[in-house]
Amino acid sequence: MKKLIFRLSIALFIFIITIFLTNYVYEKYYYRSDCEKLDAKLLFAQDSLQNLSDVLYYAESSNATAANTDTCLQSISQMIDSLSPLKVNSVEHGAIHARTFLQLIKNLKSNSKVKTIIVTLNSRSFGSPWINSHLETNIAQANVMYEPIIPIFKRIKLSFNAFDNKIIQLRDHDVEKDWEGLKLNVPKNFPYKTVRLWDNAMANGTYLLPNGDWDMPKISLACHYIKTYAFSIDAKTNPRIKDFDEIVSIAKQKNLKLIFHLLAENVQYADSLVGEELVNIMHQNKQLLLDRYSKNGVTVVNSFEQVNGLDFIDQDWTTEHYNQTGRFVLAKNVLKYLN
Amino acid sequence: MLFNSLHFLLFFPIVTLLYYLLPHKWRWILLFSASTYFYSAFFLPYILILYAIIIIDYFCGLLIEKYNGPAKLFWLITSIVSNIGLLAYFKYYNFFVDSFVHYIPILKHIDILLPIGLSFHTFQSLSYTIEVYKGNQKAEKHMGYFANYVLFFPQMVAGPIEKYATLGVELRTKHKFKYKNFGNGLRLILYGLFVKMCVADNLAPLVSEFYANPTNFKATSTWIALSAFSIQIYADFYGYSTVAIGAARLLGINLMDNFKQPYFATSFYQFWQRWHISLTTWFRNYVFFPLGGSYVNAFRWIFNILFVFALSGFWHGANYTFIIWGFLHGLFYISEKTLLKFYPESIKQNPVFKFFGANITFILVTLIWVFFRAENIDKVYLVLNQCIDFQLETKVLMPNIPTICMLTIFILLEIAIYNNRFDKFLKNKNTLVKWLIYISLVISILLFSGIQSFQFIYFQF
Repeated sequence: MKKLIFRLSIALFIFIITIFLTNYVYEKYYYRSDCEKLDAKLLFAQDSLQNLSDVLYYAESSNATAANTDTCLQSISQMIDSLSPLKVNSVEHGAIHARTFLQLIKNLKSNSKVKTIIVTLNSRSFGSPWINSHLETNIAQANVMYEPIIPIFKRIKLSFNAFDNKIIQLRDHDVEKDWEGLKLNVPKNFPYKTVRLWDNAMANGTYLLPNGDWDMPKISLACHYIKTYAFSIDAKTNPRIKDFDEIVSIAKQKNLKLIFHLLAENVQYADSLVGEELVNIMHQNKQLLLDRYSKNGVTVVNSFEQVNGLDFIDQDWTTEHYNQTGRFVLAKNVLKYLN
Repeated sequence: MLFNSLHFLLFFPIVTLLYYLLPHKWRWILLFSASTYFYSAFFLPYILILYAIIIIDYFCGLLIEKYNGPAKLFWLITSIVSNIGLLAYFKYYNFFVDSFVHYIPILKHIDILLPIGLSFHTFQSLSYTIEVYKGNQKAEKHMGYFANYVLFFPQMVAGPIEKYATLGVELRTKHKFKYKNFGNGLRLILYGLFVKMCVADNLAPLVSEFYANPTNFKATSTWIALSAFSIQIYADFYGYSTVAIGAARLLGINLMDNFKQPYFATSFYQFWQRWHISLTTWFRNYVFFPLGGSYVNAFRWIFNILFVFALSGFWHGANYTFIIWGFLHGLFYISEKTLLKFYPESIKQNPVFKFFGANITFILVTLIWVFFRAENIDKVYLVLNQCIDFQLETKVLMPNIPTICMLTIFILLEIAIYNNRFDKFLKNKNTLVKWLIYISLVISILLFSGIQSFQFIYFQF
């Protein structure tokens, strides 16, 4: 046993030395290319911006996506920047969510110029389809690269699968489980108590064309609205709530002014395609987020119903992509709370 | 739980420590709990399927031993139908629905997750009841030991598929802590992780890029991608099996070798003696021999070979591509056996003949892997077409420099290990050489392992 302990101690010592040496080599020669490989370049962007900005705007694709017909291609954060005396820059990437924002904010240096951070609060991102999205594995990998640990540990975590790397089938299974199992907060007399029942009913020829055929594009869009927005945020278990809560405490620790920008959703289309029951659910979720974070001392900019249905770029899908009119409305709304 | 996960690197030392601290009579409980936990980490509800297999085959084993005549056969059939039934439902149901839905419209596709390693569990458990039926194996009275035979976590999801006569006995034996086992186990785990993480996981993105859009590439890239897949699938499975053998070794338990450098095989016959040995052995013992084996007329022998290989292909996946993959292996096996009859032994033993044999075997195996990797026959056709598209390419698909380095180290080590195993290869090396190898492997894993997420290929089987 003594022999074993002695040999294990030597092995451990050599292992620690090896870790330090490999960390040096990795950081110097391979770290950046790994970040590029994993599409995890936001940390470099943040590093370069944090001494040039008064405000950092953390967002997913809602910030910069523009319509083909837009004459002004400015993103929301650029509009805010041009309307405000403060220097506003964005840290953004498509499909990311609170977990990514959290890791990035953790990396903000205490001596940086940034005094205010605006984080998009996307209510759709609290739903099962986004939480269990097929993109989640890639986002989780990138998030590892954003963790405030030494680079070689990030690599070890990635190569030893220490991140959410569920297979796609399991993610689909989890979504289906939620759609079938979670009871919706709908009136007692409303016949569809789960997403699956509601979706099936809607899919069953709700909308007809003048010739009597099913209006498939409209049915499919209505079903999509149900599957995307029909959920009730459970503040105890929802992973996004945990991440946003942690963002609040990190911001406090770093003495940053924190603004959550509750993004606009296409409530008009939800109402016209599906009905008031879905709109009520959307409002319940919105209210929960507003109440929770306002009480926590966060400034919450409520843009939930600020954008007209026609100003959403994707008319046949649920996104938070706005045309220039929509982006301008949101920028002005945020601006009210910034100065 | 994956072997190449921090979860396992935490879990396994705890289990090993407890295993040696506990008295022998309690170890089965530890192994059972650990195996349940290990499997549940993938998807908790499916552990119930394994429990069902254990309960059915445990009682079938006892009843087969108890009765004679038709009753004995009845309980064997019960075991076979239950195991194959589970496999058929979870793995093949949708395949049959898709194949026959035009003829039987009431069949409906179901959304179902394939339990990880189900084909391995069912085959291992079936081998037990068959052996009890044949009188080669006494029925296990202790349900805990039998459960551990089916569940034993190092080999539960990807083999090697062991007989009860070997693994069952190993699990019952009182293993004292031995430094030699400990060292050899760690060496095998280290090498297995290197092979899986530095070779297979680095080749995976290149292969995926190619198969996502084969028409983007010409012959040079196609041949590089096909060779890369040959090595990827070997490294993936061989690496995983080596970790399994190493982990069991740390607990004092011997598992059979599942691979013996198959790409050095000089013929298809040799390839199948070196590739996935435990599965080949299973099919030989429980399908090929009962069909009459080689002691039948030539036509029946051809049928037996083709049937066993096609069935082995179907075992790998519920798709026609897998059946064709197996069938082609059978076809080449038969052709080779027939052709080689005309060559005198002196020529067959000639090194030049062997060298060409090894190359031809590798090229043909590599080509046949296309059926294994492609999602459907259309894709196979596209890929094979690209093999002969000899136009110049502006950008050839190439592994990056670190991957080429990892591949070179792997090939050199495999040549050095030839016909041996990594732990045995190191046995007579001096301490400095051993430590240089360990440190190189650790540095390779730390710096050059694949970091993009790719599932272990054999999990789907």
